[in-house]
Amino acid sequence: MKRTKKATRKDFYMEIRKSRGRFLSILFIVTLGVAFFSGIRASEPDMRLTGDAYFDEARLMDIKAICTYGVTEDDVEAMEAEEGVACAEGAYSADFLYSTKDAQQVLHVMSLQEKMNQVTVSKGRMPESAGECLADDNSSFAVGDQIRLESGTEDEVTDTLKTDTLEVVGLGNSPCYLSYGRGSSTVGDGSIRAFLIVPEDTFDMEVYSEVYMQVTGAKELLAFTDAYDGRVEEVLKRIEALADDRAVVRKDSLKDEANEKLEEAREELEDGRKEAKKKLDNAAKEIADAEKKLADARKQIEDGRAQIADAKMTLSSKQKELDAARVQYQDGVAQLNDGKAAYEEGLLQYEEARAEADVQLQTGRQLLDGLQAQINADEERYYALLAQIEDLREQADVSEDSLDDTGESAGEPDTGPDQQIAALEAQAQAVAARLEGERQAYTLGQAGIEAVRREMDNAQAELTAAKSQIDAAEAELAAAPAKLSSGQAQINSGWNELRSQEQKLVDGEAEIVSNEAKLVDAKKEYEEGKAEAEAEIADGEKKIAEAEADIEDIELPKWYVYDRSTLIEYSGFGENAQRLGAIGRVFPVLFFLVAALISLTSMTRMVEEQRTSIGTMKALGYSKGAIASKYIGYALLATAGGSVIGVLIGEKILPYIIVYAYGILYQHLPKILVPYDWGYAAMASGAAVFCTLFATVMACYKELEAQPAVLMRPPAPKNGRRVFLERIGVVWRHLNFTWKSTIRNLMRYKKRFFMTIFGIGGCMALMLVGFGLKDSCYEIAKLQFAEIQFYDGSIYLEEDITEEQQDELEAALKSEKQISRYMKANMQNITLVNGKKECAAYECVFGSVEDIPWFVDFHDRRSKERYELTDDGGIISEKTAKLLGVKQGDTIEIKDEEKGNKQVKVTQICENYMGHYIYFTPACYEEVYGEEPEYNSILFEVEDSDVNADLEKIGRNLLKQDGALSVSYTHDIEKQLDDMLRSLNLVIVVLIISAGMLAFVVLYNLNTVNIAERKRELATLKVLGFYNMEVAEYVYRENILLTFLGAVVGAVLGRFLHLFIIETVEVDSAMFGRNINMPSYIYSLILTVTFSMLINGVMYFKLKKIDMVESLKSIE
Amino acid sequence: MDGFVTLKDVKKRYRMGEVEIMAADGIDFRISKGEFAVVVGPSGAGKTTVLNILGGMDTASEGKVIVDGQDITSYSQKQLTAYRRDDIGFVFQFYNLIPNLTALENVELALQICKDPMDAREVMEEVGLGARLDNFPAQLSGGEQQRVSIARALAKNPKILLCDEPTGALDYNTGKAILRLLQDTCRVKGMTVILITHNSAIAPMADRVIKIKNGRVAEMARNPYPVPVETIEW
Repeated sequence: MKRTKKATRKDFYMEIRKSRGRFLSILFIVTLGVAFFSGIRASEPDMRLTGDAYFDEARLMDIKAICTYGVTEDDVEAMEAEEGVACAEGAYSADFLYSTKDAQQVLHVMSLQEKMNQVTVSKGRMPESAGECLADDNSSFAVGDQIRLESGTEDEVTDTLKTDTLEVVGLGNSPCYLSYGRGSSTVGDGSIRAFLIVPEDTFDMEVYSEVYMQVTGAKELLAFTDAYDGRVEEVLKRIEALADDRAVVRKDSLKDEANEKLEEAREELEDGRKEAKKKLDNAAKEIADAEKKLADARKQIEDGRAQIADAKMTLSSKQKELDAARVQYQDGVAQLNDGKAAYEEGLLQYEEARAEADVQLQTGRQLLDGLQAQINADEERYYALLAQIEDLREQADVSEDSLDDTGESAGEPDTGPDQQIAALEAQAQAVAARLEGERQAYTLGQAGIEAVRREMDNAQAELTAAKSQIDAAEAELAAAPAKLSSGQAQINSGWNELRSQEQKLVDGEAEIVSNEAKLVDAKKEYEEGKAEAEAEIADGEKKIAEAEADIEDIELPKWYVYDRSTLIEYSGFGENAQRLGAIGRVFPVLFFLVAALISLTSMTRMVEEQRTSIGTMKALGYSKGAIASKYIGYALLATAGGSVIGVLIGEKILPYIIVYAYGILYQHLPKILVPYDWGYAAMASGAAVFCTLFATVMACYKELEAQPAVLMRPPAPKNGRRVFLERIGVVWRHLNFTWKSTIRNLMRYKKRFFMTIFGIGGCMALMLVGFGLKDSCYEIAKLQFAEIQFYDGSIYLEEDITEEQQDELEAALKSEKQISRYMKANMQNITLVNGKKECAAYECVFGSVEDIPWFVDFHDRRSKERYELTDDGGIISEKTAKLLGVKQGDTIEIKDEEKGNKQVKVTQICENYMGHYIYFTPACYEEVYGEEPEYNSILFEVEDSDVNADLEKIGRNLLKQDGALSVSYTHDIEKQLDDMLRSLNLVIVVLIISAGMLAFVVLYNLNTVNIAERKRELATLKVLGFYNMEVAEYVYRENILLTFLGAVVGAVLGRFLHLFIIETVEVDSAMFGRNINMPSYIYSLILTVTFSMLINGVMYFKLKKIDMVESLKSIE
Repeated sequence: MDGFVTLKDVKKRYRMGEVEIMAADGIDFRISKGEFAVVVGPSGAGKTTVLNILGGMDTASEGKVIVDGQDITSYSQKQLTAYRRDDIGFVFQFYNLIPNLTALENVELALQICKDPMDAREVMEEVGLGARLDNFPAQLSGGEQQRVSIARALAKNPKILLCDEPTGALDYNTGKAILRLLQDTCRVKGMTVILITHNSAIAPMADRVIKIKNGRVAEMARNPYPVPVETIEW
């Protein structure tokens, strides 16, 4: 038993060694099939993995939420607290304009985030302070550039940012921007050119623009998979619910805030009103004062005038007086002289009188002295008498006192003293009388003296007075001339002053007049001020009323919660992966099928070949299993070996190449991950192994069922069959026998016939799809700009362009000789809606309907039927219609969140490859929007558009015009497109090479089988005297025929496959061509034929080696 | 006398690794024009080597093979092919008809490469298959197939008709019929027929019998009175 095993095993190894070619060809084709299948299929998950690794590393957000009124700190906190949210972070962002020499760009400025969306710096450093920024890697900014931002709206840049100038300190990229796309904006031309990243404190905003969230557990899940989407969706729903609550909270707080502000405004208004009133009152009072002052002034002037008149009179009288004084003075001088003379005379008289008086006085005095002495003596007597009297009286008084009770009695006693007294008194009386006389005499004498002295004194005084009078008069007179002259001077100065006063009066009058005018002005001003104040107040009141209304109108803020698909190109990445998957599901399957069929035929053939040997084994008593195990083992080894090699190589190389190719589009992917995907590996290997094993088992089964004797006999020869062609006698008769044989051969070996046709057809189809993909992608730019949109460029106009500027611009356009024609147009980014489907598109309104055919050609892609743009509705581009799912005649909507969607009818659907368009006539636009279109751009066409330099020169010239904002050229877009499509190129090359390899292997295999099967026949031909070449031709004829038949089948198959693949592969924003160009057919055919020829060449040597002795052998 | 076909000391050596095998070790014989010759011998005696060399399918290592005055031993591959094409008519043991050509077409196939062919239909009539022209080989019996094969060989108008065990795969009667056909062809058309067989019973019907043993001609005898096929039995 052991020996037997050994023998069979040896037989097995010998078999492999002997049929090395067959073994290797099965191995190789399985390798190819499995490599291609598992490799291309693994590209899809590998691409996702690569993307996901990048997203995880950069901590890309999972959910983004924005709110119409901004996001508050509280919102962020609330969101962070929500279940399923790992973290939340608020961020700022805003769009600005940046003007360069000849263009204006929209820049998206975002705040640097700590927790999420990590930015990678490729050059320079991170921005650290306000005023610094990190610029987009793909922008034309360099480190050190200063970027001066403009807002593009009425608001200042500094309303949003702390500074309007940013310095580029580094370049980098953000995971939010995977590819070249930067999204759209509401400012500028609507498309963001680059992003800038600034530190958070650069923003000067009260609320965040958006909040980013990461979902718990989402990081571990692979992006773009259902698991991830499901997880995020779950949290997203919760966030949406939360957002509704937050909206209510926000609304209330906004209302409170607004009310507060309103209150403040009211107070302010009140204050304003008061103040205004106060000011007005003051002003009124001032005016009244001014009026009074003016009246006073007027009166003063009147008075002044009177005064002046008086003064004039006074002056005149003063003059007169002065003149009189002058006369008086003259008189005075004369009088003085007279006085002097009189005085001299008087003095002389006085001197004379004095001497006389002195004598008189002397005598008088002597007389007096004697008198005096007498007087004194009399007096002494008198007093002595008096004293006697007194004594007596006192004595009497004492007695009188004692006799007080009897008054009468007192007199009685007196009789005694009293008589004495009376006597005495009489004496005293006499003395006194004498004394009196003496005294009178004395007085008289004294008076005489006194009179004389007085006379003298008087005379002297008179003289002295006269003298002093004269002196005074003299002095007075002496002063008089000075006085006179000073008086005159005074009068003169008085006149002068009077004149100046008069001047002043005149001035004063003038002033009054001017003041009066001023007053009038002031009054007017007052009136105006009053009116203004009133208006202001009214305004303020109105504003308050409005604010009140606004507060009433404060709506519930709208929250928009997005997942990652809101990121530019994020979905595109997923779609690309999906597209790869689509390619992976179609391409490799076909490839794999061919490979499986080939290995299947080889194995079947092998079993059939070994019929005798099987019979012998069976006759020797081997069990079916033992016999079959050889072939099953053979197939298993070849297929499994091929599968392993295929998986190992294919799953590494193919995904790498493909993801690398996509790296052109997604250039920031840090590293390409291509782990083995055991699922696909198992699927491919399993299918390969199953196919071949199944075929082998079936073949073995068929043979093993037969009796050994039957097996050892040659199989009954197959019947020759008449073919259909023979019935067409005309054709058949003209064929020579080799051709007849060829055709019959083809028909006879049906399996081989279909295998070969399918194999060659498959290769042809694959290559055709490869080339066709290239055609479709590359062609779109050409088709788009050569057959659909003819214009060479468009000028975007300033938003606030004046008519004058527009005229100038048109004049400039006219003056450019090379510009053959131009047309105004309105180009706008809008969103089209049909039911739930949305699609961003360009709305294009042409200025003049007659000129449209010169700029755009509307036609059906298939029938090329021309369409005309009518006023009934718009024409939309084909892909747009497809995405929206609309047909001609349907009605779609143009999204307008503020005023409600606009309805528009789709009149036609036109061929279009790049972008989405909806075209209108102005009339139609008006009907849809209810307003006339505002033309914001000018499309132009130049004579010889191939010369780009000239085109740019024209563009620059046009941009010098004030009204021109920017110019874009069609060829730029073409170039950009080409760049984008280059990534597909490598994929296509991979496809073509693989298809070629497959073709080679298939043909080689089939031919080997063919020759092996027909060795005897060929040997016979040789014996019959066919030259080598003739024998080869005999075989080649079949091959060539099969190649061409296969090519035809392949062309048809390829066409459909191409259509299918294009539809799955193409991006939403563009429609790839559905065409395959003639050269592609030719290339594919040439390649297929070349491979076929190559194989035929190799076969020639195989044929030559066929030994004629074979013909003598019995049929196996 | 010089024969139409002359083999002079033909040797054929095969190297099998170290060992040198002499498949033919100096074969000498002559066949005259129009003779019906039978080369007979047991398995491994060297018959097939003779056939191969004579048929231009192999070349002799030594010696000379002269056919109709031409020494074919010095022929190149191309000349040999031309020789096969023009001078030899080959009848195989297993008929070797092209399965998907009709009987007539099989004949015509050979004719199209021939310089001076006969009419295919005529030949088919001659071999007795006038009624089965349009049948495919699979629809014919073994004998009929062999007749087609003979017709194919004859139609080329060859110098020699070389038959390799033509009855080997046929039953007794059919075999006889074929031999009869071959003999008649020789007699009627004056065709030189060389028949190679291991069946020595056939020898009496031949004009010349060449017996081969161990790579040499053991005996060559001219049979002055060949018997008709019907009389021989085996």
